[in-house]
Parts: sequence; C-alpha cells; structure tokens
Amino acid sequence: MEKSGPRDLAALGGTPLFDRPRPTSNLVRPDLELFLKYSRVFFDARRYTNTGPVSVLMEERFAEFHEVDHCVSFSSGFWGLVLAMRALALAGKREVVMPSFTYRRLADAAYWAGLVPHFCEVDAQSLAATPATVGACVGTGTALLVITHPIVNCCDAVGLTAFAREIGVPVLFDSVESVYETVAGRRTGSFGNAEVYSLHASKLVNGFEGGYVTTDDAELADRLALERGFGFRGQDNVAFFGTNAKLNEVHAAMALASLEDLDDQVERNRRRYYAYRSAMRKVSGLRLLEFDETETTSFKNIVVEVLPAWPLSRDETVAVLNAENALARAYYSPPLHAMHASYETRHDDLSLTEALAERFMNLPCGHHVSLEDVGSIVDLLAFLEQHGGAITELLAART
Amino acid sequence: MSAAGRRLPALLGGARAFVRDIPVGQMYFPTWERYEAAMRGIFEREWYTNHGPLAREAEERVADVLGVRHALCVTNGTIGLMMAAKALELRGRVITSAFTFVATAQALTWAGLTPVFCDVSPVTHHMTVETAAAVLDESVCAVHPTNIWGGTCRPAEFEAFGAENGLAVYFDSAQAFGCRVGGRAVGSFGALEVFSFHATKILGTAEGGCVTTNDDELAERLRNIRSGYGTRAKVAVPVTSNGRFSEAQAALCLLALDDLEERTAHNRAIRSSYVSGMAGIPGIRVVDPPDADPSNEQYAVVQVDEESFGLNRDALVRALKAEGINARRYFFPGAHRTPPYDESAPPPGELPNVEHICRTVLQLPVGALVDYEDARVIADLVSDFHADAERLREAAGG
Repeated sequence: MEKSGPRDLAALGGTPLFDRPRPTSNLVRPDLELFLKYSRVFFDARRYTNTGPVSVLMEERFAEFHEVDHCVSFSSGFWGLVLAMRALALAGKREVVMPSFTYRRLADAAYWAGLVPHFCEVDAQSLAATPATVGACVGTGTALLVITHPIVNCCDAVGLTAFAREIGVPVLFDSVESVYETVAGRRTGSFGNAEVYSLHASKLVNGFEGGYVTTDDAELADRLALERGFGFRGQDNVAFFGTNAKLNEVHAAMALASLEDLDDQVERNRRRYYAYRSAMRKVSGLRLLEFDETETTSFKNIVVEVLPAWPLSRDETVAVLNAENALARAYYSPPLHAMHASYETRHDDLSLTEALAERFMNLPCGHHVSLEDVGSIVDLLAFLEQHGGAITELLAART
Repeated sequence: MSAAGRRLPALLGGARAFVRDIPVGQMYFPTWERYEAAMRGIFEREWYTNHGPLAREAEERVADVLGVRHALCVTNGTIGLMMAAKALELRGRVITSAFTFVATAQALTWAGLTPVFCDVSPVTHHMTVETAAAVLDESVCAVHPTNIWGGTCRPAEFEAFGAENGLAVYFDSAQAFGCRVGGRAVGSFGALEVFSFHATKILGTAEGGCVTTNDDELAERLRNIRSGYGTRAKVAVPVTSNGRFSEAQAALCLLALDDLEERTAHNRAIRSSYVSGMAGIPGIRVVDPPDADPSNEQYAVVQVDEESFGLNRDALVRALKAEGINARRYFFPGAHRTPPYDESAPPPGELPNVEHICRTVLQLPVGALVDYEDARVIADLVSDFHADAERLREAAGG
C-alpha cells in the first residue's frame, strides 16, 4: 500500500488502492467445462425449465449435501422464502417473529406471504435470535418463526427447533449464509420445519440467480414444488394457489457446477480468512469475528466489530474503504424495524439491535479478493487507525 | 387424402405417427456453439447477475424492437405481473378475462387485488370493451386485458375505455411479443404491458419476461420493486422483491432477438400447413390470430365442432396424444373455475363464450421441434380421425 499521509486516501482526492472493486460478494466462478457439461444435459433433452433433468439432479445433489429428505429449487431465495412462509404459517394467525438485525428484504418477503413481521431482539455475542429473544415476542397471534443464521457462525438451531416445538409454532431457518456450516456437528438443512438458501452469485454457491428450500417434511416439499409452478398438479389441474418461482435449467447447471467446486472454494476461503486473522492483529480498534472451528464452516464472510478505540465511525470507515474500491458494507444496517415500511410491522424495545447495527461491517471477501489484497486491505485499516484523527478532520472539512 | 392413404389411428392399435413426443411449443434455443460462446463471455466478464452488461443491452434492444421508452427484463412474466400491479398501486377489483392462463389472476391476488372475470368474444376469444363494460361497477379500479393466440384484444379500444371510466389499463401480453396492431407494436399500450420469455414463448430465455412502459415514473417504481440493482433513482415503493434477470437469461434473450424473424417465419409456415391441411375437414376451424398485423405466429389454435367433426375436443386431444403429439387444451377449465377463484371470485355474470371455448379449443404444436411437413402429417391425422370418428368414439367407450 502506497499512502504516505491522509491526503493520499481516495476519499480525500488520492488514487484508489484498487483499480477494480474488491466486493463482499462471493462471485465465485465455477469450472466452465463442468457448467457446460451440465448444460449439455438439458440442451440434449431440449428441456429448458419446468422441472427439467438438470434441476431434478440439482435437487437430488443438494438434498444429499444437506443430508435432508427433500430439496425444492426456486427462481430465487426470496420467492422460496415467501412460499415457505405462506405454507408454514399456522392457519388463522398472522404474525411472524423474526430478528430485525437481518437480511434487508426479509420483512418484504413476509408481507408478500400475507404475514405481519414482529421484530425480535438478538443476542449480543452471536448476533442471532435466541429462544429467549424470540420468546419475548411470541403471543397468541404468532403464526411462524423465521430465524436467520448470522453472517459468521450459526444461531442455536438445536435450541430454537426445540423451543418452536415446545410452543407449537413452526420455525423456518433463513440459512442463506450457512450453506456449508454444521450446528452441533450436523450440517444445516434439516433443522426446524424447513431451511431456505440462495443461489445468487454473491452467495457461497453461485447459480446466477436461484434458491432452494430443504425439509424432511414430504407434504411441505410437495406443496412447495406445486406452488412454484402455478399450483399445477399435472396438466390443467390447479391444486393450489401459486406463482411462477421455478428455477430454470441454465441456473440449475450453474448451481451444480458450483457445488462440485465447494470443498476447494472453502479451502480458498480458509486461506483468505487466516490471512485476515493473522494481519488483523496489528489493528487494535477492530475485532475480527472468528469462525467457530469446532464446527464445519465455509470461512466465507469477513466481519469486524468497530471497537470504541477505533478513531472513525463505522459509516465513515465504510465510505473511506469504498472510495479505495474496497467495497466494505455496513452489517445489516439499518435494522428492519428502522426501515420505512408501507405495511404493518410490530416491535418492542430493540435498543441492543440499534446499538449493534452501528458497530459491524463486512470486509471484502470471495473470489475477487487475493491473499495479497487481504494484506493491502488490512494495511489500509492500520493506516486509518494510525491517522484517524487527521482523517476525521479532513473528511469533516470536505463536507 | 384418399381413403387408401388412411392409416390406423394409434388409439385403435396403429403405429404411432411420431416416435418422439412432440411438445406443443416453442422450445426455440440457440445452437450449442452460440450458447457456449455466450456463456464463455459471461465467465470471462465474471458478471453473473445484478443488471449486468447483457441485461442492459437486452433491455435496450427489447425497448427498441417494441418502440417503447422502458423495457425492464424480469425473472419471469408472472413475477413481472405481480410487480406491475404493485407499481400501479392498485386497490380493489380488476376486470380481466376468464379465458386466460391462471397466472393472470394469481398475480392479482398476490398484489392484494380481486379479479372480476368477464366473458370473451366467441370469434376472437379475447375480452372486449363490451364484455368488460358488462361487469364494470364502482369497486373496479383497473382493466387488465390479455393478448392471446398471437393476436390482440384491440388494446387502443381499452385505452379509450379506461380513460372514459377512470380506470387504470394494463395488459397481460405474455403471448404477444412481436405482434403489431394498427401500425404499433404491442408493448406501448396502456400504463404498461407484461411479456413472458418462457421456453414455450417465441422469445424464450428458459424463464424470463419483461415489463414495458412509456411512463418514466412507473418504470422507476418497477426498477425499485425488482431489486436494488439497475435502479436509476431511489423511489418509494410499497414493497420490494427479487425480479432480477440474470446474465444467462439476458444472453438467451439477445440470441432470441437475433432469431426472432426466422422463428416467426418458421411458425408462419407451420400454421399455413395446418390451415391448408385442415381446410376441408368438417368441424375444424384454425383460429386466425385476431387483430394483429403481423402476428408473432406463436400459436396454432384449433376449435372443434363436435357435431360436424364427429369427436369432441377431448377425444381429439386423446387421439393426438396417442400419436405422440402433445396437443393441449388451453386455458382449461378457465381461470374462474380454478381454485381459489371458483369460490372466492365468482364471475358477476354468465360466461357462455368462455365456457364454450374452454370445451372446444386445443393448441397444436408449433415452434422449434416441428416443421411444415410435421404439421402436414398432423393435419392428415386429424382428417383420418374424422373419418374414423365412430370407431374412435367406440374405443373411448362411447
């Protein structure tokens, strides 16, 4: 990194550290030949969607990977979430308890599903909902729990599944960030009533766009598979109200190619994470969230907590990094309850979430970040820490 | 066709006319070489989705082809319809055709709206301003006609009808990409139009679709509802979703646009083969795509008069299926007879034309997997079935 003083920062008129963006999106490139091999299967069958041979194979392989009975593919994780929420919600009830400190479109998914989000608090250490934080929001109107795994490590899926069973409310896990992880030694995919995953290019498994739901519940899997195709059970027979949320064959081929590369990718992620972990020792004002290596993990996401000693605000830091083409992102900020919604939502005191939403950021990771880049990014962070006071003043003078 | 040339229908024990199964259509796809080259390009750019360069190019070209200011490509036509109803901020009841694919109605329900099903013309099979007017009341906020069969519903008449009655007008043009009417491409009528790029459509991208509009504000609302990517300004919308069109879908869209003329010509030849091949068969009418010049030639629709033909539509479909031809009933049994609408949205009046059409029409194969000769063979089969109608009826148990 060649910056001799604060004025060399791109945010203050200097040259950006990177000539092209280093994103927090994974954007992993699977083996092209493998993708073409799977493409050849649907091409030869002349089947491009509507449960073609590649999406069928994709569902088999992902069910096997997650050690679960059923995998139902979708055009995106978003519509998988919507349909799974609709299908699982208890009849006659409308509230879905979900963390506020989560995926920014989760409440919109609940709205499309006809449910009212009731935002719950998270635990300060795990950044995830717990039986206690969820329990505080459960009432007679609770139709469903939707629990998101945090970006680093997992929520207590065992405890939450047991809690949900105890109170007689279904639980759906949003496991988009926990494809590869295990909880208590068991891979995610078969916890709760169902789990939802994304195949978006920014995620661990790149399927261009796409998503899937895993479950051991045969009836649920059957219903979701019909509802994603307008509810048709055979020709001319609509069994359910539905929509079109089918995964096309090209995207399914991409997902299969990415799955085959997964173990290698995780090894590359591990090296990146270890490089961050080792280098971050020289930055005392930021705390790297460490992966729990007693479980299997993808090592994909790099998240740091901004400690009180850090000289810049989290948002200033993100802005300075972005100007350098290091596309750091605020972690789940603003939280959902602080976002404008045109529909009804509920929440009680969420002061912990509000505090946490100011403190964390995602750092660049994934396919476009080399080990050398990691070194440069951490050097830049050390530079910010060293010159923090001057940088803050110069930034303030510019605005 | 002489009696000597007649063959024994497969349903009566004869050999199947086609060894392979013939889908109803369209199943156009680029050659492997073109597909591979496009995919290699995406892998080189490493831009997979989120409104990438191919998606932007596809939108520009679609807008250009349709002569409309904005084209927003989306993951599929149904999600496009759902987004459209939200972007229009409609509340209440929406008049639409009962003779439509169920997604037309489902999209309304997803957007919190209630369909009011109206009847259609017995000739064109489209809803008309007259059939819409028959179910109009004060609770109606919009009229949502469909353009089907490679024809149109005379969209300009609905624009006037909407203006007269203070109703929003937007079109389900899932089947109409490439159709023109009154010198204007379908795509710029009403507040917006929604197209499907499903594999069964002439411009197929496996799954896909687009929403088109001349309204800048509406376009921006749609972009914001689709996803954060590809927006030009952040505007308030009631809800967001994921309606993104991947680079893979966009690559297929661009290749399909290159081939559109050729595909239309191929379908036109197939349709003409059906028309001439079945011209003399009593009780068989090949439906002309109404009110389109030109049509996109996406469909070959046949209406069966049981009395003259000797078999009813379902018997004809069964006989064709036995030959390997996946002829299809469309849109049986009618959106209004499909759950939940059979209970939740009973039509305000009788729908005699829809009921009749639902019992009498079928769709014959067109598209990539059939040609002029196949269509000739299929026409001959229909002629043979007419000649063998009595035995076919007996075989089916009367």
